[in-house]
Amino acid sequence: MTAMHRAALIDGKAIAARKRAEIAQQAEALAVDGWQPRLVSISVGDTAAAALYVRNQQRSAESAGVQFEARTYDASMSLEQLVGVLQGLNADPRVNGIIIQRPLPDHIPVKALQRAVHPLKDVEGMHPASIGNIVYNDLALGPCTAVAAVEILKTLPLRLEGLDVTVIGHSEIVGKPITFLLMGLGATVTVCHHMTRSVAMHSRASDAVFVAVGKPGLVTGEMVKPGAALIDIGINRVETPDGPRTVGDADFASCAGVAGWITPVPGGVGPVTVAILMQNAVLATQLQKEHYAAEYANTEA
Amino acid sequence: MTASVIDGKAFAASVREKVAGHVARLKEEHGIIPGLAVVLVGEDPASQVYVRSKGKQTVEVGMKSFEHRLEADTPESDLLALIDQLNTDPGVHGILVQLPLPGHLNEDLVINSIDPAKDVDGFHVSNVGLLGTGQKSMVPCTPLGSLMMLRDHLGSLSGLDAVVIGRSNIVGKPMAQLLLGDSCTVTIAHSRTKDLPGVVRRADIVVAAVGRPEMVPGDWIKPGATVIDVGINRLPSEEEGGKGRLVGDCHYASCAEVAGAITPVPGGVGPMTIACLLANTVTACCRASGLAEPEGLTA
Repeated sequence: MTAMHRAALIDGKAIAARKRAEIAQQAEALAVDGWQPRLVSISVGDTAAAALYVRNQQRSAESAGVQFEARTYDASMSLEQLVGVLQGLNADPRVNGIIIQRPLPDHIPVKALQRAVHPLKDVEGMHPASIGNIVYNDLALGPCTAVAAVEILKTLPLRLEGLDVTVIGHSEIVGKPITFLLMGLGATVTVCHHMTRSVAMHSRASDAVFVAVGKPGLVTGEMVKPGAALIDIGINRVETPDGPRTVGDADFASCAGVAGWITPVPGGVGPVTVAILMQNAVLATQLQKEHYAAEYANTEA
Repeated sequence: MTASVIDGKAFAASVREKVAGHVARLKEEHGIIPGLAVVLVGEDPASQVYVRSKGKQTVEVGMKSFEHRLEADTPESDLLALIDQLNTDPGVHGILVQLPLPGHLNEDLVINSIDPAKDVDGFHVSNVGLLGTGQKSMVPCTPLGSLMMLRDHLGSLSGLDAVVIGRSNIVGKPMAQLLLGDSCTVTIAHSRTKDLPGVVRRADIVVAAVGRPEMVPGDWIKPGATVIDVGINRLPSEEEGGKGRLVGDCHYASCAEVAGAITPVPGGVGPMTIACLLANTVTACCRASGLAEPEGLTA
């Protein structure tokens, strides 16, 4: 199979490590000013499902110079109680970012919790105001996976202005924000989804393809323009004769024979996503610092 | 093939009629009269015309119209105080601040100080985010009007290829979101797009919103496509001192030869904008009063 590779593998782990090193410097500069970036992670109920993510985030935070506190709450907590917890964290100047781990118990609607996080502390980029800022092309805390996917494209020697891009999947937290981020950078973006008649017609005409659907093998080599970049955001567990494996939405073997660049799964978008969470933590801290400075200046005036 | 003409004037009248019906019902069944407040700062002649015609149409559908005209040099704090007062006024269900504002006023700050639930223009950053995440929001009027016309003409839009030309915050971006919401495959093209004719030729639906007179010629249009022309451009006058002709972003005569349906300029999307403003006000009023919102008046 290796002999058929045409595509260069995009090393998400290396990109993430470079990012974390940059973030660590910014975090340190903020800490010197008295603004040590600090994240609080909230898990509710059965925490085993998210434990791996929380551990990953904790490790990434440590190497990025961001403090990280993992809190767990009992599944019996009501929405009102949890919103109360969030309001406390919103008001606490020592907390710069709040992460709501999923899954949540059935009686807790995730959107209601996300809306309760102060937009300046919304390091996951899930608050409507954060999404609105992305659409308006303002400096903002973007959804981590979407920002990570776009950051990966930016590391390639491609001119984004005028680049033809197909985004497969129009989810609110991945596909759509990727679309608006890329549009802001000057790309011509086509968004495909389960109702699209011919995804291949669009993807084959594109210099870069993003796929975020959650269907293994959805994108095959013949759907990709030779030399194009393929950013695979899917994470799927599949059973193989050699045991369970994690694969993306692209059929890696056939796509790697055609694409110019491809992200592996695992080891592509995933690690960068966690690094972006830390980048958001630093950006959120910076925004809060400016916000407090402006408030203070106003009381002086 | 000659395109059928989508008559925006007649369609807008039918939307206003629907709105008037809901207003009458709200009054009769619940004793509620929807109210729309329009704030105009300064003397911009075009804005004055808009505000007058908004006020007139608001009253015609049975709603209350509140006009606030402020001097061009009004301090920002005064404007924000007025918005604050309108935000808390239970008789006001919709607030519209006429843009553009004079240079000394921060438009973003002013728009984002409107209560998102009363932001009938749909420009508040929270409404943009709510629309972007498929939640209930206030939808900007021009794209909403365009969507209503497309649904009326085509029925289901699901699976159709749509191209939006122009990525403005007030038309292109929300239009793309709305078309995605109706399950179109959407391409957003703009000034940096490499092969605009090729991109447009793939589309079953073309929404042109760039503000460049007659830039889309008929030979870019796929035969049978539906063309929504949002542009309103005035050509230079041929006689001295005269008024030039109004044209859209599409070259009407040649596009109409190829398209299945097309909106004219004037008389297409234009009249829909105020009709949708009224529709948004009724929707906002129903939501604020905890009543079921009217069907077919929002996305």
